[in-house]
Order: sequence, then structure tokens, then C-alpha cells
Amino acid sequence: MRIKRKKVEWGILAVAVIAIGIFAGAAPEGTSRLVSVQQLPANMDVCANMDQPSAADASEATTPQEEQLLAALQQEPSAATRGPAQQERGTGDDTGGGSFVLPNTTEQLRVTADLRAKGARVPVRTIRDTAPTYSSIAVDVNSNEVIMTDNNLWSYRVFDRLSQTPKNDTDITPPKRIVTGDHTALQFNNGLYVDPVNGDIFSVESDTGDKMERFARESDGDQSPISILHTPHRVYNIAADEVKQELFLTIEFPPQVVVYPKHAKGEEKPVRRILGNETGLDAPHGIAVDEKDRLLFVNTWGHHSDFTVAGTGKFLLPAIQVYALDASGDAKPLRVITGADTQLDWPGGMKFNPDNGDLYIANDIGQSILVFANAAKVNGNVAPARVIHGPSTRLRNPTGVSLDRKNGELWVSNLGNSSATVYPLMATGDVPPLRIIRSAEESKRGVNFGRTAAVTYDPIRQEVLVPN
Amino acid sequence: MNQPQIAVFARSAKEDTPPLRAIEGQKSLLGRTMHDIAFDAVHDEIVVTSPLTQAILSFRGAASGEEAPLRVIQGDKTHIKGVGATGKVSIDPANNEIYLATPDQTILVFDRMATGNVPPKRILGGPDTQLSLGKQNTDNSVVAGAGNVYGGGNVPCIRIDPVHNLLLVPSEGRGPGGGSILIFDRTASGNTPPKAIIKGPVRMGNQFDIYPPTLKLITHSGNNFEIWKIPESGTSTEPPLKISAPLGRQSGDIGLVLDPLHKEAIVATAAGNTVETFYVPEEFDNSTTVSSLN
Repeated sequence: MRIKRKKVEWGILAVAVIAIGIFAGAAPEGTSRLVSVQQLPANMDVCANMDQPSAADASEATTPQEEQLLAALQQEPSAATRGPAQQERGTGDDTGGGSFVLPNTTEQLRVTADLRAKGARVPVRTIRDTAPTYSSIAVDVNSNEVIMTDNNLWSYRVFDRLSQTPKNDTDITPPKRIVTGDHTALQFNNGLYVDPVNGDIFSVESDTGDKMERFARESDGDQSPISILHTPHRVYNIAADEVKQELFLTIEFPPQVVVYPKHAKGEEKPVRRILGNETGLDAPHGIAVDEKDRLLFVNTWGHHSDFTVAGTGKFLLPAIQVYALDASGDAKPLRVITGADTQLDWPGGMKFNPDNGDLYIANDIGQSILVFANAAKVNGNVAPARVIHGPSTRLRNPTGVSLDRKNGELWVSNLGNSSATVYPLMATGDVPPLRIIRSAEESKRGVNFGRTAAVTYDPIRQEVLVPN
Repeated sequence: MNQPQIAVFARSAKEDTPPLRAIEGQKSLLGRTMHDIAFDAVHDEIVVTSPLTQAILSFRGAASGEEAPLRVIQGDKTHIKGVGATGKVSIDPANNEIYLATPDQTILVFDRMATGNVPPKRILGGPDTQLSLGKQNTDNSVVAGAGNVYGGGNVPCIRIDPVHNLLLVPSEGRGPGGGSILIFDRTASGNTPPKAIIKGPVRMGNQFDIYPPTLKLITHSGNNFEIWKIPESGTSTEPPLKISAPLGRQSGDIGLVLDPLHKEAIVATAAGNTVETFYVPEEFDNSTTVSSLN
């Protein structure tokens, strides 16, 4: 059985190497590396990707063929693996001088398989989710595509916007493209923005990677991004001001909003930050831009402390903080929407509709979508004008929203069941989705893992407890 | 990390098995950066920190959904400090105490039943302790990049052996190179030196665990379990038993807990987004010494 499995693995490797060879054959001379990899220091940040297991080298292969395959897989990505649009906007060295810690999943899996073949102990049980965990969503109305980031398998997947709901409970929606693999640099990707003009995809990471990757619309497979930007640790989400060509990122802690030029890459620093005790940014999460009224909306979970001073922690109510779009430094919010009537409960992604002033919020634990009308004006303890909630909605831990104003549709990514559901923009109540994109069976209940860095055991109930 | 739930699974759970329940939502007070968690089997409670609010939360053992904690330790009298530095917590149910390390190079000990803005009942710290618990970067000009960015940094996991009255604290032990383990009397307070040291280097992730009946400590370092003998005095240079057990996709901040009844070690693989359970009888076998296996 082990031999058979290994043959299958080698078969997969062979296909990958053949594919690399085909692309590499057209590679220009002197292709430069997209990224450089930097060794992490010993006292790295709390969530950092570190202490990777040592790689078995190609000499551990048992046949010349295997040796050749392994050597090929250890090569860096080449510019030739990028699509035409990427080659147009990226030169193959768009790191801006940055150095990044990239995933090395291929190598880790190879080393693991090799050690197990040599007799290493194997787990008797493994808890994991084999399906994608969709953290955020965007619609590209120019290409009629829906894009979702996958926080679990480190990918983003592209679907036809008009994909019909799978007929049978076990059927899934076939993606048009899956961007995944070490060369993509994607890790725990959690926030998504799609350029409304050229379809470029901006992806930010909530843990370990601390990067924003920019991909061309047509990217596919294990393809390098056009560019990578180093971001602060603990990014949650992203929004853009197309008027000033700026990107806004929320950082959960130390709490802040960082603002970059849209073309930022490498080690470029933010052009400004909203940061300080007056900001009310207590664990910021979702973020949305109102370009017309020049406002910035940021939802917060109310987790407050100054980490440099002992005993300053406190719990506040979740809120939506409203700032001037050009706010900087220790800026006070112009208004705060907060209170029991808001129904905010671990709010996630947000989007603003400039056509009517509605603000949409993915309300994760509320299992709902909240819509605040006249968002540029409201203040205090106000109830949402509309709430999408109930068993017919098929919502399950919604954390991402996207507005398709051209077709009058609201898209939601559901972290808890590997799906996207779409509704009319003005939907309210317990409404069934117009269509469902599904990457798992209809009854799917995801494990919602988001970096399993601790565990404990309850011997009374014989249960395993896993915090994210 | 998209959201900071605590998911609860049956021990027998496998691939794609959904959790039996999850603790989640605003009322739970849970937040990100929970890098340690403890289960108190004597009093049937869960203990975890809320690092972004410098708080220690205690829940019912069967807590579910949007359930509030039973008790919250938080406030200016607590001395609790940091973000990642507040990610580790340990409990001694036999002696009704909760332990927390700080980036001020101290270990705070609270009464298990404490709640609100309460001072610790003991503080261990000072030059003679040799504690080297890591620190948090307070330079907000370090916005991004590899290294210890603004707000980054962590402290090690600590564990208590109530049978032999020992407190085990890694010293600079989470890095790839490993470090030593300082072993104090459980009730040590103030500027007290360790009574024993495992010289190491002991390599570990976020968590390690101990099995007091055999006086053995276990870590996972990415590709291997390491089982170390715990000395009660002096400095031990005895090498560990290494058991090859690679994890696939993972990162160094690995979680680990023991299930003594089934002689298993449960490993959370961090970046792997998996929880893998291994049969490791060597940790629990009283007749098998570490040195005899090397």
C-alpha cells in the first residue's frame, strides 16, 4: 500500500516537472528570481512561520529519475510561468528589494513522505479540513467571475459568476482557475480586492506571511504574483480608494489602518497610518471606502489594550468607526455606530454601496448580513435597515461580502461551509440565495481552522480543544 | 487566522469531522493569538488568555457557542502585559493556581478562583532566576519585514508538575536552535534560582507537555518528538530520545498535549492547519528510560 501511494506521488511529481519543463523551455535568458528568501531570527514574532523542518536533499532519492524530479522541483519559479498580463506589468523582480518568507509546502510534504517511507511514525488520526475555507470574496464584473480566498489550503479560486447551484447534494461547483502553490506565496490569505479596471487581484494575509500579493486576472496554478508587498503582521482586510489610487489595510494588533499607494511593493512603508489611543481601533477587522463622501468605515471587535503597559486591557462593544478618508495618526472617528441594536457579532468584511449609501457587513457569529442605510450619516446605537438571516439563506459564518452593482447582486463568502451565496442587493430576512457556489457537499460544516498553534485535551469527555 | 474560535472535537475525530461545538462570538471574549490553552480536569474548566485585552479567561469545561467565561482576570493590579506575551497560560488544578509569563521576565501566579482586577499571589522574577522569557518590540517604526516587528515577540509555555512540585520554564527555548529548561520549586517566589536545569538544547514550538509519573518532558520540533528526562536537581546534559514523526505542512509554533490514558501525543501543526495524534508510549512507559533508548 505504501509503495503504491509513493508511486502515485511520484506520478504527480512527474506531471508537475513536465509542466515546469514546458514553461521553462520558453524562459528568457537570465531570468531573475521573483523573491529572495530570508532566514527568520530565533526570537521571531509570535505567529511567524519558523523552524521549518530540514529538507531532505535530492541525494535521498532512490533512482536517477527521482533525483531529477526532486532537483527540478527545488528550482525557483521563472518569469516564464507568469501569464502575458503579468509579464507586461511585472518584470520578474518586482520585490522592490524586499525579502520574503515563502511557504515551502512542497518541500515539507516531500520530506514527510520520505521520512515516513523510511519508517517515521505516522499519525493515528488527523483532524483537518480537506475543503477550502473561504474568508473573502470579490466579483469581477468585467470578466463575470467570482474570486474567493481560501484561508485553509492557501489558494484563491475563480468561478463563473453565473454558475448554477449544484444539483445534487454531493456535487460541487467546478472552479475556472485555482491559484495555489509555493510560487504563489499565498499563506492564510484573508482579504481580497479586485482592480475594477484591469482585474488585478490583491490578496492580504492574516498570519505568518505578512504580505500582500498582486496577481494578474488570468493567473492560474502555481504562478508567481506580479509583485509582493511586505505588510505588518496580523492584517485582516483590504479596501481601495480608486480616486487616489490608495490601498487601506486593517491590522488587528497593534491596532491600526495602514495606507499604501496602490502600486506599493517590496519594503515600501505606508504613506500614513491611523494609529493611537484616540482612534477607537480596538481590534479592527472589516474595512470599506466611501469614495463619494470621502469616508472610511472600519469595524472593530472592542478588544482594547496598550501592550506596552501592564493591566491596560479592557473589553468594549463591537463598533463601526467612521473616519475621514484622509485621516492620519491618532485621529478620532467622526462617528461611531455601536450598541446592542447594531447586532454586530465578530463582524468581518464590509462593502459600501455608493449608489444608495448602504453599508453591508458580514456578521460572522450572527450568521447574518447586516445592512446599515445612510451609513455616511448614522451614529450611535442604530439598528440595521435590513438583515439577511435564517435557515433559508444558507449563511454559515459569513466573513466576506462583495457588491455587484452592475447586476444588482450581493455576494457572500461563507467560512463555515465552503460556499458562496448570492442574493439580490436589496434582499432582507430569511431569503434563499439566487445561486450557490459550493466547494464541498451541501451539508458541509467546516472546521474553521485558522492556524492551529495550540491544543489541549479534555480527559473527562475525551475531547480535543483547538483554539485559532 | 480569520476568527478566534475554540473548536471542540471528539478524540476519534478524523479528516473533515466537524467540531462537536465551538466557543465563539463577542460574549465569549475570545480574541486572536491564543498560543496556549489548558484544561483543568479536576474542576472541569478551560483556561485560556485573551492576549489583545491582557486577560485570563476561565470557561466551563462543556462551554459552547456564545458562552461568557465564568471568570476574567484583568486590570491594572494584575501585572499582565503584552500581546503574544500574553498568549501562554498554564494551570495547576491540584493546587488551584494559574500561571502566566510576562515580557517583564516574570512569572505571575494567580489563585484559580480569582476574578476581576486582582494582584498575583506570587511573582517569580529577578536575575538569579535566569528567566529569559523573550520580549515584545515596542518600536512602532518597524512596520513590516522579517524580524521582530512592532508588537511582535512572545514568551514560552510553562508547565507545572504537581506530583514533584516542579515548575518548568523554557529559556529562549522556542527558537530553531532550542534552549534550556529551568526547573523551579513549584512555589518559588521572588528572585529564586532554579533547582535544576535541562541544558538542552530543547527544541519546541508553542507548547510542550510533561508526564509527571515518569518525570518526562516531550516536545515536537517539526520532524521529531523529543523526550527529555526531568531532573529534580542539578544540570542534566542527558540527550533526549528522538522519535521521527514529521508533520507535513507545518510551522515551528507547534502545539502539543498528552492524552495519558491512550498514550498519545496530540500535535497542532500551526501553519499546517491540522491536528495530528501520534501513539507515543515511550513518554508514558515507566520502565523505559530516555538514556536506555539512545
